[in-house]
Amino acid sequence: MKKTIIIGSGVAGMQTALCLAERGIEPLIIEKESEPGGKLRGWHVLFPSFTPAEEVLGELRHRVREQGIEVMTNAEAVGLTPQSVTLADGRQLTGDAVVLTSGFTLFDARIKEEYGYGIYDNVFTSADIERMMAEGRVTKADGTAPQRIAFLHCVGSRDEKVCQQHCSRVCCITGVKQAMEMKRLFPGAEVFNFYMDIRMFGPGYEEMYREAQQRCNIHFVRGRISEAAPTLDGRVQIKAEDTLTGRPLRMSVDMLVLLVGMRANDDNASLAASAGLKQAPSGFLEPRDLFLRSTESSTEGIFYAGTVTAPKNIGETLAEASATADAVAKFLEK
Amino acid sequence: MATIDFGYTISKPRAIDLDRNNLRKSDEILREMPELQACIGCGSCTAVCTAGSLTTFNFRKVHTLVRRGEYQGAYEEMNKCMLCGKCRLVCPRGINTRGVALLIKRKLGDF
Amino acid sequence: MNFYAPFCLPFIVGAAVMFAVVAGKWSVWLWRLPRADKLRIARGLPSAATLRATGEVIGESLLHRRIFRIDPLLGYMHMSLAFGWFLLIAVGWAETIAHLGLRFVPLQGHVFFKYFATGLPHKPFFDLVMDLLLLFVLSGVALAWGKRFCSKALGMRRTTRHVVGDRIALSALWFIFPARLVAESTTCALYGGGGFLTGTLGTWMHDHISVMALMNLETAAWWIYSSALGLFFVAMPFSRYMHIFTEVPLIFLRHYRLQSGEKESSYDRFQVEACSRCGICIDPCQLQSVLGVDDVQSVYFLRDRRYGMLRREVADNCLMCGRCVEKCPVNIDLNTLRLNSRDAMHNVPDERRYDYFRGLDRSQGAGKVGYFAGCMTLLTPRTLTAMERIFTAAGDEVWWADREGGVCCGRPLKLAGETDSARRMMRYNTELFRKHGITTLVTSCPICLKVFREDYDLDGIEVLHHSEYILRLLETRRLTPDRRTTRYTYHDPCELGRGSGIYEAPRTVIEAVGELLEPAATRENAPCCGSSVANTAISDTQQLQIARTVTAELEDTGAEVVVTACPLCKKALGRGTTRPVADLAEIVAESLN
Repeated sequence: MKKTIIIGSGVAGMQTALCLAERGIEPLIIEKESEPGGKLRGWHVLFPSFTPAEEVLGELRHRVREQGIEVMTNAEAVGLTPQSVTLADGRQLTGDAVVLTSGFTLFDARIKEEYGYGIYDNVFTSADIERMMAEGRVTKADGTAPQRIAFLHCVGSRDEKVCQQHCSRVCCITGVKQAMEMKRLFPGAEVFNFYMDIRMFGPGYEEMYREAQQRCNIHFVRGRISEAAPTLDGRVQIKAEDTLTGRPLRMSVDMLVLLVGMRANDDNASLAASAGLKQAPSGFLEPRDLFLRSTESSTEGIFYAGTVTAPKNIGETLAEASATADAVAKFLEK
Repeated sequence: MATIDFGYTISKPRAIDLDRNNLRKSDEILREMPELQACIGCGSCTAVCTAGSLTTFNFRKVHTLVRRGEYQGAYEEMNKCMLCGKCRLVCPRGINTRGVALLIKRKLGDF
Repeated sequence: MNFYAPFCLPFIVGAAVMFAVVAGKWSVWLWRLPRADKLRIARGLPSAATLRATGEVIGESLLHRRIFRIDPLLGYMHMSLAFGWFLLIAVGWAETIAHLGLRFVPLQGHVFFKYFATGLPHKPFFDLVMDLLLLFVLSGVALAWGKRFCSKALGMRRTTRHVVGDRIALSALWFIFPARLVAESTTCALYGGGGFLTGTLGTWMHDHISVMALMNLETAAWWIYSSALGLFFVAMPFSRYMHIFTEVPLIFLRHYRLQSGEKESSYDRFQVEACSRCGICIDPCQLQSVLGVDDVQSVYFLRDRRYGMLRREVADNCLMCGRCVEKCPVNIDLNTLRLNSRDAMHNVPDERRYDYFRGLDRSQGAGKVGYFAGCMTLLTPRTLTAMERIFTAAGDEVWWADREGGVCCGRPLKLAGETDSARRMMRYNTELFRKHGITTLVTSCPICLKVFREDYDLDGIEVLHHSEYILRLLETRRLTPDRRTTRYTYHDPCELGRGSGIYEAPRTVIEAVGELLEPAATRENAPCCGSSVANTAISDTQQLQIARTVTAELEDTGAEVVVTACPLCKKALGRGTTRPVADLAEIVAESLN
């Protein structure tokens, strides 16, 4: 029986493994964290349907267990070839092909110091909000309910000042989704979204955006927040230009939520160097061909699925993982 | 001299008329600093601008109007800039905004 | 004794042209000096300053001690040419006096003494010394030739690209001493005498070359020697070699406290023409080493300014980091000259500009200590909150001058050449500081610090960078942070280090809270982060390129945290590294209990 090593146990890794197992290929998933699941762990609900993330993740995990697919946790890949993966502890795993599904890293909002994340108590990231929602307790730092919430789009995306030129794609819709959830939790609160451009690329997204505007009365201000400062009463004062009126805007909010982007993993460079993979200027790995061989790497026998090549949403990732399994199977038949 | 009141006054047309505007200066400016075309109008520069919070100065608007061939008053407006450079520090497109301010003043000094 | 031969003509003409032009230049420059500067000279002449200046002339114009510090071989090359030639002239005069006693000998008589002295008895001592000196100079010429082919051997990665005039003068200079060797040797071959060099060579020529040929060769060699001298002298006042005669008065004027200022002045001419275009300023320039920009360095700036062909692109493209200033062997005030060139190009006197400042004050708090964060610091709020903690811990009541946004310090405008407008800001801020009655002004921005110290009139208000302020709090035990085991490295901001001479304070503060690891290039040699406000010419990508080379060196120290003391450096370095970059104030505030 042919064996494939899958690096990363997020939705991409699990879906690839399941599809390979169906084709009679033995998958081995390695995961550097102590628990499988990847970034979807700790996520609350998925846009645009508000489907609980656990529904998707739980189902995948259940099927992985059911199929008896081996998941090695606390195993970090530091080098790879088409037939082997070297782990941080020196162990070497061998197989017939390798699929890289190591995903992305969330942008560290502390780098955008001017937004005050990690400095002021009431500045949060979208990941914080998702976690708080999953825990069922969304409050300001002092435990009270927010009256006024601002979301800021494109934190760590489309920003050359932090060397992240690319668009992370999913933050726009995440901002809309979280704004709507906030409105549902705190119907009396005012919710503002500060954006540069709104990019609603997926099915149902544009409808959701309209619903947020019209039904939920969420305010959309076209202007990027430039600075946040604390007020004496522990709120956050933000400054932006309301570019549609051409005038500077300042306001105090109870919560400032930074919609953090997806950036390439730092270890992409060393992995790419070990296996002769191509890395795009953005840091993500580059498929052999964007159209006809988008799941293959530039090295024969190494494949990609999910956000290791570019920011994607869950649906796209799952679909791509199936396509990757298909490509791996064809490769192993040869 | 007596004037006839028609009940309205004729003011300068509001539209930016790209059929009439002379883009020569604008082209010169963009040739020297092509990166200005990369502006996505996010307003960060104007939001941090100290001069902009004290006066009606709006850096984004001034350079956008200049790019459209609307030069009237641009030099005077740009002269409100203190050149402190905060805008350059926040521009997500990495535009050399201080260079833009100086360039516009240099090119439009005689307008 | 007759001291004339036809071959002397080129030398005489050349020397006459040179002395006339140099004297003319000096007179005009001195004449045009402002009255205050003339008074300074008059007061300085009879003082000890003259003695000190004389000492410096010997140490620098002749011995070139500063170049020795850069590279011993390069220093030797410059010294052998300058000091060697000087000694050849001086000892030559002594030789003439030794032979003829104190009597008038025309200039060419001294210079071509070997030619005219064939009938005189030999003085082996002078033969020996003069040959030694000639060898000394020739070794310098040989090194200069060698430098053309392999400048690295003399400690220079890149050398100056010269203009045609300089090449002519340079070629003439290279020919002078070999020609002199041949000329003196042929004379020795025909008439005997000479030391171990000219004498030996002369004897060899005597044995191998016929007398007729030797006589022709002698005439030709002295003609070539004289022509090379003449050509060099004519070219000299118009080429880089004008520095030979300009550095001397410059040193004196400097000792009489003449300075270049924010407007161009006649004194600038002395500085501009004192540049020898040695090119030592090229290697330290990061625009050259990182970005490959190769026509804006100080040597080219001064050259273009001297010949009246300075372009805005050259004047504006400079980080003003001061790395070249540190290395300049002539100590030319390069940044001030560049600034007053920018002033000449960009300054727009407009009295109504910034009228909107009137009555504007959004400051808060009150206290004897004023804190001017600086525009950029408002974008690094971690520094602000750290300073707030430090002020509270020290128990200082603080007036926050610009937390809600204030008027810029004026230095960015000054750096862009808009000097008069910068002055308006300085006046506004000065009035503001006076109105609030502060006695100490603390700033977190080295750019503001420099302008407060150098251009503001703040008598009675002590201006401190926050590194100095924190150090003072530590020394008086008003601040008692814990020392931890964190390993820090420190990046010297240009305006703080080279600009304001503050190297020790931040280092002492870091060592009070953790371990300090120095990067390879540090203190006076520290690189610029690339984001200097003095440069409006380079792009964002280029700034990032520079930052990455700097952070690579900082990472090599193995430190966990990169520390700096300037908001602009902090932002720039943060882009180049994944390690945490912190302001000095942050690491102190974190260590407070």
